[in-house]
Amino acid sequence: MRSVLVLVTIFILTAVLGPLLAPHDPTAINIPERLSPPGETWLLGTDALGRDILSRLMHGARWSLGLAFLISVIGLLIGTGIGLAAALGGKAADWVVMRITDSFLAFPELVAAVVIAGILGGGIGSLILALSLTGWMRYARVARGIGLSLQTRGYVVQARLAGLSPIAIARWHYLPSLLPSLTVVWTGMFARAILGISALGFLGFGVQPPTAEWGTMLLDARIHMRSTPLQMVWPGLAVVICVLAINLAGDALRDAMAQQDRDG
Amino acid sequence: MIKGTLGVLVRALVVLTRTAFATFALLWHAPGDPALAIAMARYDAVVPAEVIDEVRAAAGLDAGFWSAFRAWIGPLLLGDFGNSSVTGRPVWPDLFTSITYTVPLALAGLAIGLALAVPLAVLATRAPGGWLDRCAVAIASLGAAIPAYWLGLLLILLFAVNLAWLPAMGARTSTHLILPALTLGLGVATSLTRIIRSGILEAREQTFLPAFRRRGVSPRAIGRDHVAPHAAIPVVTVIGLELAFLLEGAVMVEVIFSRPGLGSFLVRAIEARDFPKVQAVVMLAAVLFVVINLLIDLIYRRIDPRIGERDA
Repeated sequence: MRSVLVLVTIFILTAVLGPLLAPHDPTAINIPERLSPPGETWLLGTDALGRDILSRLMHGARWSLGLAFLISVIGLLIGTGIGLAAALGGKAADWVVMRITDSFLAFPELVAAVVIAGILGGGIGSLILALSLTGWMRYARVARGIGLSLQTRGYVVQARLAGLSPIAIARWHYLPSLLPSLTVVWTGMFARAILGISALGFLGFGVQPPTAEWGTMLLDARIHMRSTPLQMVWPGLAVVICVLAINLAGDALRDAMAQQDRDG
Repeated sequence: MIKGTLGVLVRALVVLTRTAFATFALLWHAPGDPALAIAMARYDAVVPAEVIDEVRAAAGLDAGFWSAFRAWIGPLLLGDFGNSSVTGRPVWPDLFTSITYTVPLALAGLAIGLALAVPLAVLATRAPGGWLDRCAVAIASLGAAIPAYWLGLLLILLFAVNLAWLPAMGARTSTHLILPALTLGLGVATSLTRIIRSGILEAREQTFLPAFRRRGVSPRAIGRDHVAPHAAIPVVTVIGLELAFLLEGAVMVEVIFSRPGLGSFLVRAIEARDFPKVQAVVMLAAVLFVVINLLIDLIYRRIDPRIGERDA
């Protein structure tokens, strides 16, 4: 568990401090040094334009983690709002809201994101829109489920009888109970967003060159697979380690919560 | 039962209507002039304004959102996907060809996934918490973190570039299917292993199993008649979800391996801004999903009688 936390911390620090730590300018083109193998000057080698791969990976962490954080938080806000509206809004509202949520769930997320991002044109704005629009449903389901189970609890009934508005009940009685479960869902969605960002980047519908991003780096590296296969390994490895660390942290969080439930 | 079936049908209708409307609205409000895009694609040069207006009128783009929506959805309900806005040819023949490439890929991927996941999960649950079980869980978590496009590239590197055993690009022969199907199958296997494993563990905890055991029913018979059906319920759900994953995976895998299936069709259509083709793929995916979900629901009712009772 400790090693997972260390790993997550390293990634977050890289994302925050990457530009300060990176040994080279990630967009500085250096044709004479193109496709260099890993060595002393270029720790992980250079790409087809002679750009330092390590520096690009470090700058890429900022895009992958930063955008994934933003996207997963937008999803969290939209989803929780929708889920609570369904739980508190009465039967008809619940039916309508959940049918809409189901209809979003019933479509492959990545395909929808590819269509949205591709049609709106590559760029960070459409990337964020595409992945947040396709990433709120899980939060909504969890928020609604817990919200419905709280509805008959004594303190919620009393709050309602005391004349508290649904919004106040949501704020003071529902949110505190929702937070632990939503945090677990959030770690999963955070990891998914990282995968989504790099997938869209790989298809050319995400962050646009020359910005360093893990998916687009992989796309660039693919053409030089025969001459410099290692170049292709690094960005993928970065995605895998990052996603794995976040998923494991999420699992540990869920286990800790289950433990607490048993003890409490 | 009837009420449940009705609910499922209503849900299906909502999904299809929403998808049709959302897709059309997205494309309608897409940045850039669609008429200009069509004209550019068709004449491949700078086009005068009159030609663009002509194209706009011919494509029904000047009539406003609702009439354009009706003009698209009407024929679609009768199974007509319209014509490509770039080539002017009907969408359906091309779409059908690409389906014939994606279906074998998806089925082979699912088969590989099941062939790996079921034995692994069964072996792992023989001794829960043992080294084999821990390995299976570790492989499954690692697999969930590996993006399909990277795995595909690594497989190409190993089997096509370094060992030169298998072809990587295109779909000329049946050996071209192996690497893409393996990429897809390994991805499917990781999540299937996890779900089947927890399905078996949960099924084993049923309170009536010790009673059978004490009565002398053989472990094999208990596993076959009482644990397996119970563990099958989550597996059915997951196979349904996996089909979603297969479609997503097919998009990435087909692009990596230059396989001319639905995924490549979609990506090329988006790049060319060929909206009728994009709409066709999206609607096809939506219909596919609705049908799969309907089937899963029916299978559920078959293997888990409790669901039917709950509805009644």
